[in-house]
Amino acid sequence: MAWQYIGEAMGVALQPYNLLVLVLSTGVGLVMGILPGLSATMAIALLTGITFNFPTQSALISLIGVYVGAISGGCQAAILLNIPGTPASAATALDGFPLARRGEGGLAIFIATSASCLGTLLSVIFVLTLTPLLTAFALKFASWEFFLLSIFGILICGTLTAQGNAIKGWISGVLGLLVAQVGLDSVDTVARFTYGNVNLMATIQLIPVMIGLFGFPEIVKAFKVSGSEEVMSLSKFEMTKGLCLVGRHILAVIRSAFIGVGVGIIPGVGEDVGGWLSYWASKARSKLPESFGTGNPLGIISAETGNNACIGGAIIPIMSLAVPGSAPAAVLLAAFFMHGYRPGPLLLTESPGFVYSISVYLVLASIAMWALALLVAKGTVRILRVNKKILMPIIFMLCVIGSYLINYNMFDVKVMFVFGLVGLAMTAVKVPAAPFLLGVILGPMADSNLRRALRLYDGSFATMFQRPICVFFLIVIACMILSQMGVFRRLRKKKAPEAA
Amino acid sequence: MKKFVAAGLLAMAASSLAFGADDWPSKNINLTVPYGAGGTTDLTARALANAMGKDLGVTINVINTPGAGGSAGSLNVQNAPVDGYTMLANGMLAFATMPVNGYTEKTFREWDVWIATYAPNCIIVPKDSPYNTIQDLINDIKKRPGQVTAGTAGIGSGGFFGAETVKAIAGANYKHIPYAGGGPALTGLLAGEVDFVPQLLAEYKDLIIAGKVKALAVLAAEDITLAPGVVVPSIMKSYPNEAKKFVPMGEVTAILLPKGLSEDKLKKIDKAFDVATKDKAFLDFCAARSFEVIPKGRAESQQFLEGFAGKAVYILYDGGAVSIDPAKFNFKRP
Repeated sequence: MAWQYIGEAMGVALQPYNLLVLVLSTGVGLVMGILPGLSATMAIALLTGITFNFPTQSALISLIGVYVGAISGGCQAAILLNIPGTPASAATALDGFPLARRGEGGLAIFIATSASCLGTLLSVIFVLTLTPLLTAFALKFASWEFFLLSIFGILICGTLTAQGNAIKGWISGVLGLLVAQVGLDSVDTVARFTYGNVNLMATIQLIPVMIGLFGFPEIVKAFKVSGSEEVMSLSKFEMTKGLCLVGRHILAVIRSAFIGVGVGIIPGVGEDVGGWLSYWASKARSKLPESFGTGNPLGIISAETGNNACIGGAIIPIMSLAVPGSAPAAVLLAAFFMHGYRPGPLLLTESPGFVYSISVYLVLASIAMWALALLVAKGTVRILRVNKKILMPIIFMLCVIGSYLINYNMFDVKVMFVFGLVGLAMTAVKVPAAPFLLGVILGPMADSNLRRALRLYDGSFATMFQRPICVFFLIVIACMILSQMGVFRRLRKKKAPEAA
Repeated sequence: MKKFVAAGLLAMAASSLAFGADDWPSKNINLTVPYGAGGTTDLTARALANAMGKDLGVTINVINTPGAGGSAGSLNVQNAPVDGYTMLANGMLAFATMPVNGYTEKTFREWDVWIATYAPNCIIVPKDSPYNTIQDLINDIKKRPGQVTAGTAGIGSGGFFGAETVKAIAGANYKHIPYAGGGPALTGLLAGEVDFVPQLLAEYKDLIIAGKVKALAVLAAEDITLAPGVVVPSIMKSYPNEAKKFVPMGEVTAILLPKGLSEDKLKKIDKAFDVATKDKAFLDFCAARSFEVIPKGRAESQQFLEGFAGKAVYILYDGGAVSIDPAKFNFKRP
């Protein structure tokens, strides 16, 4: 039965017209992912409108293609420019950019793209086999869990990016959390820190913050260095070397895919957190944690597998509950409805082939993405050789346009400028920007879930300790903070003389 | 920027002068949906736009302008020149309550309105909940005021109106737990975090059919049959006197135009709307989502909205969600 559906879906997808749609939409998604400011959510939302009058299957193929392309494309800008193309690829920049600066941009993009492709493929296996089980897992997450998960994510990101001094990363994360408080709050709809400004009431938009934070420092850096700016030579890379690298880290790929799917399933947490968590897991298990952040291919592989595996994860609760697992998946759900599908508990009986169709389209889209991304990379890698003083003004223009396009609102461009200055200041005092960004992303979740939980339980924190997942998070968070304070090192030192 | 807008307005004015009433519409019409693509309002609007466009012989393009709870897009249309090329599709809960929210001084009475669909609120509880009937729930709220939790998509959302209706019937308060949207509220219920969710039926129709949640009552005048053997009882059955003032409660979606278009053009829209609400694709879409198709012409819509808007604004005002007195705009208390 299953094979029949898969065969049918393959037949549909391989029709010349649909194949063209697949390649075109994956390509469009890829380009939107590469350009900072055009996010996956936006790409899918745009296509949802355009594909309204498409034949149903072509529309589905096109939407899946854009989703996969956009999430994967983000890595190229992150690697080549240190400006993540989408918030999901911020973790990739950590090791991707140093590798590219060594002239191995081609290699970095190759392994990032391959990891992305593998991440999506592995997540499809989860979709096909474990949907009911994983849905039950998603429903274990209630307000307390969401609150602790967001705090956990920010702490991890702070630890990973701060080069040894996690406190700096945490400060940055908390500042991001504070920025996320601006606007109408989602619990009591009270305007906070808006000073009567209508634009601030709509909360500070994520994309302008990201573009400013990451774009400005790179732009300014290009002009700070005196004339002898190194024009990088590109070392030729061989595909076999890249494949070997990915093959050697296949365990990390599988682990990251697991984490990515898990994060994807949890409603409201998406691709951005998936990348960070799998990066952290790989670093924590590594024998050489110091090599992370200096161009370790394992870092790129983990982050990219993790964020792409979220795609499959995010689709699982759509299929079983009609509740999306991430922001782009929410738009995808809407598109499914628009084309007459009714995702939810009746999906399997009403349109049993749907799950298989989506899986087949995901597989084909990730393969198309892999080929297209490598093709595009042949061109984009040359960016490294362009004089930064010529390149950066162009990037600057893209930053302004990208910010404007979010809501066609000049206010967002101003926001971009303000956070650009913030980003500059943070670079000057060596405070990492990534936790700040994640703080802005997770801020609303942390805030509303904490307050919702407190309201549910009449202001009592006690219930938090009665839930197993919460206790797990609390222990890991406590360990992270204690180890940063050097408690474990001191314990070990104390023990050592006793043993001797 | 200002020059740009001025130039745009001039161009629009010129184009509306150039074409007489008799050849309207001579170009594509823009239908503004003040929410993102894919939401309930958007999908309803697109299904209607397709069918209306066919009758008018032009394409009706749906433009999504989300922001400020739907008021940004509505105000855009309110301020655009009334030439019949810029229309609005909106849910009436958000639209009719704009004046008391302080977004505008103009009420629905200054618009031509064509009401298309009605989607009722439905009270659901987890499948292992102790409540089996709406009386169980309301009796418990009476017994433990302020303790029974309701998960909604926030103050002013469709679910909030549903919860406030329950409160009015019970005569005692519930504990309001707002979520970031209808989806998160539903997951909250499935995770066992809240006691009941009073959002729109369309949001969890399939979960009810599949038996994943229990439906206690719809806030519509009649029972609703979701599937053979799956009937959700109307609240009127259990509380005919208490519920009368509020039923039907839910989201009502309509096409709107600021008043001022000439009668012959309006007649053309009347006809296109009439055709569209009988269009098969539109009816299929509504049936799949359990929207009731309740096509109402301009005069009938105004009459309907007098009652509906009165209910909605007073629920907000009495619930403390807004501070502007509805009496200022002559809204009638139900």
